[in-house]
Amino acid sequence: MFPPLRLDPAALTGEIAAFQRKLAAGLGNLRHQLEPEYANTPRVAIYREDKLTVWHMKGQGKPTTRTPTLIVYALVNTVWMTDLQDDRSMVRNLLEQGEDVYLIDWGYPDGADRWLTLDDYINGYLDRCVDAVCKAAGVDAINLLGICQGGTFSLCYTATHGDKVKNLITMVTPVDFQTPDNMLSNWTRELDVDLFVDTMGNIPAELLNWVYLTLKPVRLNQQKYVSLVDILDNPKELQNFLRMERWIFDSPDQAGEAFREFIKEFYQQNKLIKGDLVIGGKPVDLGMITQPVLNIFAEQDHLVPPDASRVLGRHVGTTDYTQLAFKGGHIGIYVSGRAQREVPPAIHQWLSTRN
Amino acid sequence: MADQASDFLKDYQALAQQSWDTWTRYLQQQTASAAPCAQAASSHAGAGDDLLARSMAALKGYNEWLQGAVGSGLGQGSTDWQQSLQNLFSSLGGQPFAHAFASIDSEAARSFGQLWQSWLQSSQSGMRFDVEHMAAFGFTRERQLQQQEIAAAMQEYLDWSSKYQALIQRANTEGFERLQAKLADFTDSTRQIESLKALYDLWVDGAEEAYAQIALSEEFRHVYGEMVNAQGRLRQLQQQQLEAMCRELGMPTRSEVSALGKRLQELRREVRGQGVSRESDELATLRAEVAALKRQLAGKAGEAKRPASRSSKREPEKDAVVRRAKPAATVGARKTVARGTTRTRK
Repeated sequence: MFPPLRLDPAALTGEIAAFQRKLAAGLGNLRHQLEPEYANTPRVAIYREDKLTVWHMKGQGKPTTRTPTLIVYALVNTVWMTDLQDDRSMVRNLLEQGEDVYLIDWGYPDGADRWLTLDDYINGYLDRCVDAVCKAAGVDAINLLGICQGGTFSLCYTATHGDKVKNLITMVTPVDFQTPDNMLSNWTRELDVDLFVDTMGNIPAELLNWVYLTLKPVRLNQQKYVSLVDILDNPKELQNFLRMERWIFDSPDQAGEAFREFIKEFYQQNKLIKGDLVIGGKPVDLGMITQPVLNIFAEQDHLVPPDASRVLGRHVGTTDYTQLAFKGGHIGIYVSGRAQREVPPAIHQWLSTRN
Repeated sequence: MADQASDFLKDYQALAQQSWDTWTRYLQQQTASAAPCAQAASSHAGAGDDLLARSMAALKGYNEWLQGAVGSGLGQGSTDWQQSLQNLFSSLGGQPFAHAFASIDSEAARSFGQLWQSWLQSSQSGMRFDVEHMAAFGFTRERQLQQQEIAAAMQEYLDWSSKYQALIQRANTEGFERLQAKLADFTDSTRQIESLKALYDLWVDGAEEAYAQIALSEEFRHVYGEMVNAQGRLRQLQQQQLEAMCRELGMPTRSEVSALGKRLQELRREVRGQGVSRESDELATLRAEVAALKRQLAGKAGEAKRPASRSSKREPEKDAVVRRAKPAATVGARKTVARGTTRTRK
């Protein structure tokens, strides 16, 4: 039986001194950092409407697949998480595998977008983006790859516009919005979202970021920056850290009306799995999804708990359903080394037998 | 032993002060080199500023944590480790979480209590009465009522906010209890904590676990919801008051601008809907006509081969009219055309 703490005073002094040295030596590096870049994969805009752009991502060689894949990201944060840097890019990886990749950059809503509804986003914008990709690629149906809230949109879209979707991939996508471990869900359940949106208008990105940070307040607001001291003397690691910081806080405001509907219909009433959801007069029945579905979720996801995604298999109508559990978190699934090795190849392999 | 501990404390305090001074000097340099107007707009100015503000708050919290850990007697010989931990918790004012929350305060998402207190104070300036409890009468009766409503809403928000803070405080306490429980498992020589950073990381684990359990509770759901709703009611009253002032000054109000935006969006939807519907009708008509022409041509080719027949010439036209009325024909036609295109690409 030993005491749990073996803290030698001399060693502690050394530890604090080492911390101090790193801090002093690394501060200069922080001062001379340029704004880190991301989204460097070459691309061409094929469609623009209001604030959104559909980009055709360009790889080194020509795509070897006939059916293009459109990445549909969430309205919060930006799609560039999928193309953060050369060696951490899901987009680049998919291109290297031979996929033909397009993505939607939703842009940054302002006051003019305050009244955009989920109908406008899903049956309007998303539908026209799909049409644009179909036209550009000369096909009648494409693969959709929906991420997080974009995955939920993709599910709604596929259920109501099935003829335009050949294969559906959902990543870290909430389907059951009321699992017991869903902190965001718990916090929104007694929210008077009408009052909230009526008084806020568009929902400021900074407010949402604040909410996300309070999901793990000590880890995300203190421990992370204490650990930063350890990499202040490593220019590459520091750039990576700053790049991630830029992405995390480079967030669009949320169109008020769409936010109201999303909170009410999905988080508070969980209509997607209840089969009660109607968007723009179209009933959204997950049972109508008969396309092949690949559902990828992260086992340590604190934003979309695995159970919130895992349930999808029980609700879709397809007989070709595949599930992939990734050992990592909501962000790690795009940027970690493991993700680069495992996720894009798995997507390519799954698509290659179905395209 | 006592001397050794005393020296250590002195060394630590010197280092902690040095560390803090370094950061402070760095900040001062940054501030001195920035123009005042640039500072005002600095939140999105570059890589360093926002990160620096958060890092500073985080490091300040860590610094105090280290200071508390050393001052608590941890690592100083015979001191009871559980008592030392208790001392550490007390030295942080029982609120180590406070730094984590403080570091995410900002102009856009700061403590709403502070913002609304300022509003209330400014709107009540010049009033010498206890407006909240006065009967309203006279020419300014409506305004008095409005002030009373705002004061009551402010009070309601503060009540819910303090309930929320109590839950955060509970997370503080339970986080330390979890740290103690975790340490109790470290009882063999291969699993001892040998650095302050390791102890800090273990505390973070415990603190997050405790917080998560509370944040997922129905009690938290209720308090959080009510706090945000109370804030919304307060914001609504403030907006109403501001709008009244704007109307008096002949300025456009938020609800007027909002109503215009709503109408514009409805109009866009309507126009687009009409466009899509007209486009789809025209397309269906054109496709039906092409189909009819094809059948006519096929019929003529047939006629050339066999004796003429009146009915075979008229039949395709009849068919075309029927197809025009069926929207399903449009979908079928679109698929056929697109498939044809794909085949061509092969």
